[in-house]
Amino acid sequence: MSFSMLVFIGMGVVLLVVLGWVSFSNGGQKPEAIGSLRQEREWRHISYLPQIKQALTSADYDFLTGRGSPELAKRVRRERRRIARDYLSALRTDFEKLLRFAQVISVMSPELDVAQELQGFRLRAEFLYRYQLIRLWLVCGSAPSEALAHLSDMVSGLTVRMETAMAELGERTALVAELASPYNGGGPDAG
Amino acid sequence: MRAFFASVSYLWAASVLAQAVVCGILVYRGHFRTLPFFATYITLNLYQAVFLYGVYSRYGFRSPEASAAAWWSEAITLVARAFATVEILRLALKSYRGISGLVWRLLGGISLLLLICVAIIARGDAGWALMHADRGYHMIFAAAVIACLTLIRYYQIQVAPVYKALLAGFCFYSCAKVLIDSILPGLLFQRYPNFEFIWQSLAMVSFLAVLVLWGWALRRPLPEKAERAVLPSSVYGRIVPEINYQLRAINEQLMNFWKIEEPRS
Repeated sequence: MSFSMLVFIGMGVVLLVVLGWVSFSNGGQKPEAIGSLRQEREWRHISYLPQIKQALTSADYDFLTGRGSPELAKRVRRERRRIARDYLSALRTDFEKLLRFAQVISVMSPELDVAQELQGFRLRAEFLYRYQLIRLWLVCGSAPSEALAHLSDMVSGLTVRMETAMAELGERTALVAELASPYNGGGPDAG
Repeated sequence: MRAFFASVSYLWAASVLAQAVVCGILVYRGHFRTLPFFATYITLNLYQAVFLYGVYSRYGFRSPEASAAAWWSEAITLVARAFATVEILRLALKSYRGISGLVWRLLGGISLLLLICVAIIARGDAGWALMHADRGYHMIFAAAVIACLTLIRYYQIQVAPVYKALLAGFCFYSCAKVLIDSILPGLLFQRYPNFEFIWQSLAMVSFLAVLVLWGWALRRPLPEKAERAVLPSSVYGRIVPEINYQLRAINEQLMNFWKIEEPRS
């Protein structure tokens, strides 16, 4: 079997798999997730940042090791790492919501900037890759609390800036709030 | 040989019947008005089947006349198929001007890229030139349309099931053709003298499956056109770069995760 045959067979199989995934996955049908943009804009996980920061400070471990026992400090550290992982997941949710917000605006816009859209794809891919690495790191036992706090600050900052931008848009924001309509089964796409 | 020929004939008849049924649905439901290129494609396919049956009966399956007739008629239907696909994509994305612009660029870019790749892969193999061209076309076609479907999924745009079924049918048949054309000749060419019949049968079974899917999808009325709210361009120009800027900053922060020292306990 020649090289070209193998290339064609490989590509054919890959295309069939992707076609199956695109056809049978329900990526475009999540009315509960996009039914209300107002809910999407809440980004509530950020509000737990002070508690998470407190939970990851080394002072607590020093105190527990000195006054309690090393076992206790170890157990608490383990628990707090789990919380950090959950928090990282929540940050990812916030990231995805913001990205989704950008996608909704793209869908409703008459013209798109290809460079911006490509950047969006790339950023999402990068975020997912790094997120998985950090998650793995946390699972393996490290607790990069300061880095996590920085990350939280970044998402928090993004939230505030987005809210400001949207407020400045005034009445247009109300129009954006109607964006749920393309996804709720109305119009030419409803089958 | 006779049994093989009989089975191919039955499949051929079934395929013609299925195409006639799909044509009938297109006319009866009035879909041909909304999907003129798709209706043309199905009609051309039907004519091709009848035409080739006549040519094979007169000149034989392996004659040069039959080969020329088959390839020329195939080329015509492939062009019609490309037009039909563009028509379906245009209908599915009519209400999304920005996204459809992106889809056309993607379609053009991927087609060009794969055309170059296929030309490089197939070069220097003149004996199979037509085969490579046909297979390359199917490969480019399937990859471009699947890329568009992936983009549609990324933006969570709900495409009407009927359009999705039509596009998926085109893609499935193209993928099946690529696999059949790539695997069977190498596998069967030297072992079975009548491997063309097996080849033909598999291709026809794939197309028959697609026709059944299309017939099923087209039995209902096509979705009505509806206007969507469109944001002013300035909203996109203001918000999306801002989001991307912030997302990039978050990613940079994530990258720095490795560089920040873990707090000592």
